[in-house]
Amino acid sequence: MTESQKSNVVILGIETSCDETSAAVLLNGRDLRSHVISSQITTHQKYGGVVPEIASREHSLHFQPVVQQALDEAKLTFRDLSAIAVTYGPGLVGSLLVGVSGAKAMAYAAGVPLIGINHLEAHIYANFLEHQDLKFPLLALLVSGGHTHLILFEAHGQYKVLGHTRDDAAGEALDKVARTLGLGYPGGPQIQRIAQEGNAEAFNFPRAMLEPGSLDFSFSGMKSAVLNTLNSAHMRGETLSVPDIAASFQQAVVDVLVRKALLAIKETRVKTLLLAGGVAANRLLRETLDQKLAEKGVCLVYPSPIFCTDNGAMIATAGYYHYLKGDFAPWTLNAVPGLGLV
Amino acid sequence: MKYLTIDTTTKVTAVALGEDRRLVGEGFLNTTKTHSERIIPMLDQLLTAADWTLQELDMIGVVRGPGSFTGIRIGIATAQGLAQVLKLPLISVVSLDALAWAGKGRMEDVVPILDARKNEWYTARYNWTRGAEKADCLTPPQAMPIDKWLEYLKGLDRSICFVGDAAEKAKGRIEEVLGERAVILPEYISLPRGAYAVSAVWQRWQETGEGEQVEPYYIRFSEAEVNWAKKEEARRSEGHE
Ligand SMILES: [Zn+2]
Repeated sequence: MTESQKSNVVILGIETSCDETSAAVLLNGRDLRSHVISSQITTHQKYGGVVPEIASREHSLHFQPVVQQALDEAKLTFRDLSAIAVTYGPGLVGSLLVGVSGAKAMAYAAGVPLIGINHLEAHIYANFLEHQDLKFPLLALLVSGGHTHLILFEAHGQYKVLGHTRDDAAGEALDKVARTLGLGYPGGPQIQRIAQEGNAEAFNFPRAMLEPGSLDFSFSGMKSAVLNTLNSAHMRGETLSVPDIAASFQQAVVDVLVRKALLAIKETRVKTLLLAGGVAANRLLRETLDQKLAEKGVCLVYPSPIFCTDNGAMIATAGYYHYLKGDFAPWTLNAVPGLGLV
Repeated sequence: MKYLTIDTTTKVTAVALGEDRRLVGEGFLNTTKTHSERIIPMLDQLLTAADWTLQELDMIGVVRGPGSFTGIRIGIATAQGLAQVLKLPLISVVSLDALAWAGKGRMEDVVPILDARKNEWYTARYNWTRGAEKADCLTPPQAMPIDKWLEYLKGLDRSICFVGDAAEKAKGRIEEVLGERAVILPEYISLPRGAYAVSAVWQRWQETGEGEQVEPYYIRFSEAEVNWAKKEEARRSEGHE
């Protein structure tokens, strides 16, 4: 790739892996020219969670207008693009296929390369959008509704998974407890909201740390402990304080995430921790990590909340680094719902 | 007028090039690979083989269902993506209308049947009047329980020509009910083909003369919507008691 090809790189990033249809136009990896997110949360709310077939139907209706709006707001056309980057996994297969099929047709017709993006990688890359000076090696804590990973990020495109959840993801556990507490969907933000009025020390829920030295996670038992506490109170005819339960459970989840992150830092001696994924927007997690890492002289980096949830800007950012390496996808690119990071 | 058509509403990937009412080229793949892997490479090969470029196209046509929900969306997303970049009008046709062309010139009623799972077919009924430009639609598209539909057709007392991806598989069952009055065309005629989409899209273009907003045509609601509606109904009737 020539230097001039690298000097004005315009990437259209497209994300349709779950319940957000999003597109963004990014110039040279740092200058976000437009960012459109069409959320389906209100559509799925009445079902208490994301319904895959309905999500796919919504993507199908919103995909084209969302992309067009992103280009219009950036005051650009398809001809101005250097490449089109799209999420091809992991995620809901029907939803991924809308984005992959549309992006592929657009790239083919526009005569520009197609870049297939791993959604997990993109969550981590969301950090590069606002912090270009990050120095490798980096450690990443990826926490979302579907994933809980501790990752050693050694160079662009080089990952080592140090630990991951053996059962529920952290976000999934928060969602399930929120649903049981009648707080609705999506659960994470609801728990955070109601926890503000509660006492985080009211209940001492277990912190599952697994074998000594393990960097894996397990949230299923912690979630069950909450459900058992609620059930036995119900049997005794007692009502427990919902804010106290929410605050105590949130505290337990955050404690585990923080302890594991500190352990990983100790083992790898990495000087920067990147926080990524939907749960990265959780304030208690950010504040606790901020304080604990400062004590150790480790720098904590996290994206603005808008770049923590699923979004096209993070896809475009990851796409930019793939573009620099000339890492393009073939026209046979398929959706891979169970795609892993490495 | 040059155009391409895409039909991914069944397991078959069918892409074709048309010029006015003429079929110029068609790709047909009935293998285990997914539409998403086949569609752009197939289109690219067709264009190269026909010595056409994307820039020469004047229109894009797509089959918008009913059929496989995922297939419908892949076809539409691809067609929309192409039309959006190339700034071309987009035209859509119904899968069963396109399949009616498989029985062009037949004396019998033409009944396309597409596998809709749950013991149902997506189906409709057409008849070709001699010399007609288009088949008359006698029963509009719907999702029908197989036995109920066959009984209905039996009651019509007419000969029926079956086409579509369910035809070959259901041969025995159809002949059991309709006997001699059933005609089942071989699969190479009866499966969705680019040729049929080209004919149907050209016919549709004659009627509209302009592009249109294309949305999937599922016929069925999603299961979650159906279940939710049932629950709502139960809740409401309880409330009234
Ligand atoms: Zn995500």
